[in-house]
Amino acid sequence: MLKPQELSRRGFLKATGSLAGAAWAASIWPAVLAAAQGAAAARDAGAEFEQLTAEEAADLAAIAAQIFPTDELPGANEAGVVYFMDSALRSFMAGAADSVSEGLDGLNRKAAAVQAGARFSMLPAPEQVKLLKAEEDSPFFGTVHFMTVAGMFALPAYGGNRNHQGWKMLGFEHRHFWQPPFGHYDTPAAGEKE
Amino acid sequence: MSDPAAVPAIPTFPARQPVDFVIVGSGAAGGVMARELARAGFGVVLLEQGPHRTAANFTHDELSTQFNNELVGSDNVQTYRRTPKDTAKPQNSPPPALYAQGVGGSSVHFSGNYWRLRPSDFKEKSKLGAIAGTGFDDWPISYEELEPYYTRVDWEIGVSGAPGPSDPPRSKPYPLPPMPLKSSGALLETAATKLGLHPQVAPVAILSQNYNGRAACIHCGFCMGFGCEAGAKSSTLATMIPEALATGRCELRARCAVYRVETGKDGRVSEVQYWDEKGRPQAQKAKAVVLCANGAETPRLLLMSSSPKFPQGLANGNGRVGKGLMFNSHSVAHGVFDQPLHDYKSIQCSRMVHDFYESDPRRGFYGGGGIDARPFLAHSPMLFALTTVPPDVPRWGAEYKKYLAYAFTRHMAVLGSGTSLAVDANSITLDPKLKDSLGRPAIRVTYHDHPEDLKLAAFLQDRSMELLQAAGANKAWRDPIEPSSIGTHLLGTCRMGDDPKNSVVDRYHRAHEVKNLFIVDGSSFVTSGRGQPTMTIQALAFRAAGHIAKFAKQGEI
Repeated sequence: MLKPQELSRRGFLKATGSLAGAAWAASIWPAVLAAAQGAAAARDAGAEFEQLTAEEAADLAAIAAQIFPTDELPGANEAGVVYFMDSALRSFMAGAADSVSEGLDGLNRKAAAVQAGARFSMLPAPEQVKLLKAEEDSPFFGTVHFMTVAGMFALPAYGGNRNHQGWKMLGFEHRHFWQPPFGHYDTPAAGEKE
Repeated sequence: MSDPAAVPAIPTFPARQPVDFVIVGSGAAGGVMARELARAGFGVVLLEQGPHRTAANFTHDELSTQFNNELVGSDNVQTYRRTPKDTAKPQNSPPPALYAQGVGGSSVHFSGNYWRLRPSDFKEKSKLGAIAGTGFDDWPISYEELEPYYTRVDWEIGVSGAPGPSDPPRSKPYPLPPMPLKSSGALLETAATKLGLHPQVAPVAILSQNYNGRAACIHCGFCMGFGCEAGAKSSTLATMIPEALATGRCELRARCAVYRVETGKDGRVSEVQYWDEKGRPQAQKAKAVVLCANGAETPRLLLMSSSPKFPQGLANGNGRVGKGLMFNSHSVAHGVFDQPLHDYKSIQCSRMVHDFYESDPRRGFYGGGGIDARPFLAHSPMLFALTTVPPDVPRWGAEYKKYLAYAFTRHMAVLGSGTSLAVDANSITLDPKLKDSLGRPAIRVTYHDHPEDLKLAAFLQDRSMELLQAAGANKAWRDPIEPSSIGTHLLGTCRMGDDPKNSVVDRYHRAHEVKNLFIVDGSSFVTSGRGQPTMTIQALAFRAAGHIAKFAKQGEI
């Protein structure tokens, strides 16, 4: 369950800050952008993962799909979130790569206890949800949650948010120019001026 | 990173000959100071530790801008502790004293809310009496004295607005009409009127129409925390700095990080020492120095510039440098409505309520503030998904997604911004161990809101919740009121005053102890105002520049 302090900006920044800090030690931004653009191109061409193993990618994609499941609106799978993760973990989040691998190992040990020989990605959905509920306060889950949100909503150049699927889910339209009326409640005022 | 916007250094002042003025910091105050002193005929070297970006460098990249400190500076290492008894710990992403590094300083990434102080702000102690354990005091200047400079800010940089029912007197109307009403503003207006309050246009340093050769706002929505790609935000990067450079008397040196202000045997400031863009140590001799580095960097620099004559730090004989830091108190409440607001479009605030501005002893605590409606952190998708989730919605899964998909276009926040009391323990000091990436002692922030500040925040949040209900929110919730560990308003750390015992600069911003050293930025504040300080920082800068130019011309520096 959500803790009150996680609602505050400060709490949130505390939760994600250490990651971003490590990120910067690993790289500088233009190099990251170049890598990200490469990732987007690779993703679109159906290329293999560069940082993640195929198994790790399947597990992370499964977690992301539990965070943003696919229903009548696009979810993490449609947005290609795991491609963002692959790109992020070898560039600006390289500092978190080991802890993500270790977190996945831990999760997979639990998965194997549920079903012999299974990895997380192979479990039926209700079992996945159970394991993640037990995990949701861990730093590992926090990292994957952050990457999932970023993979849904950051600029598509970073490898996720494919065809703006994340933005479409929110109803966010990315433009450089708007004019009034902006929304329902300011429409009368905008009308008066015309 | 390459620096595509590097401006040709014209003129080039020789380092070993004293230039008329060295200004440290090119933000809200430094930009004004450079332009005013250069226009008055003086040679000016303007030092800025960050890069010289232009509008073309600014993007809608939320990940780099909001999460990876692209504008704040990823290597801005600082430490934070709540009280002097605690050991300060490194805090980054963002650091506790949060400001942008680059030409234009934090005026590049601010939201541009441009409230003036009121006459009462300057004389509040006389009106309300002393508050034990705090540095609560009157300013040495009055609103009337500052009013012409507020008006200059309006007209020189371009402020859009309209007068409100309880605004302080103004000598000239706003130069630009208000920005368009947003849905959040419309809802606030309706709710406040219903409750018998007096909603008014929020004045902003953003262009509602073309002005002074700059284009009007295009409402892209990437405003708070971002640099303006249209140049419509009235940062000093878009306004004062180009005008300073156009005089031919101001040399801007970007990526030059100052580490010491040197004093001679006569006790006067002699030169400013810095590392240039290639990391080489440099020293620029100066007839006078103006520090405009912000309420955290300015005291750090003074404390780093100790010498046999100033063993506690430059201009710090009375030990006041760095003390009495004020962040302004803040509260946040959220509401979700039946119809789309699309509040992610355009600027942050279009309407505000100032009915609770004055401190009212009947409330049982000191303080006052303003309330406004805006998207706040829900203005961009990632921040929305990470920060704007009500307590009864899970953080992942189908319910989370359903909430995000419903609420992103239907949400608004109601913010309370208000006073902070100056407490000596709240301070900027040098971290005894940690160094920044250049080897300077890291900024150590000690901060714990005064209990009255937290009472005020809770009071303004209660009013915000009433406004959300009256506006017809189908769901409303609060962010918890907690002590601040991050501040974007860095106020009061080198305060101005007539008494050299309890202030750092005099009413003309001259350091009491050093005749040719001036300090003009948020550190000059005596009280915190109600939460939107940049307008006042710039009015102080225009006023100070006039006095400093006069002193220089009369040989009084």
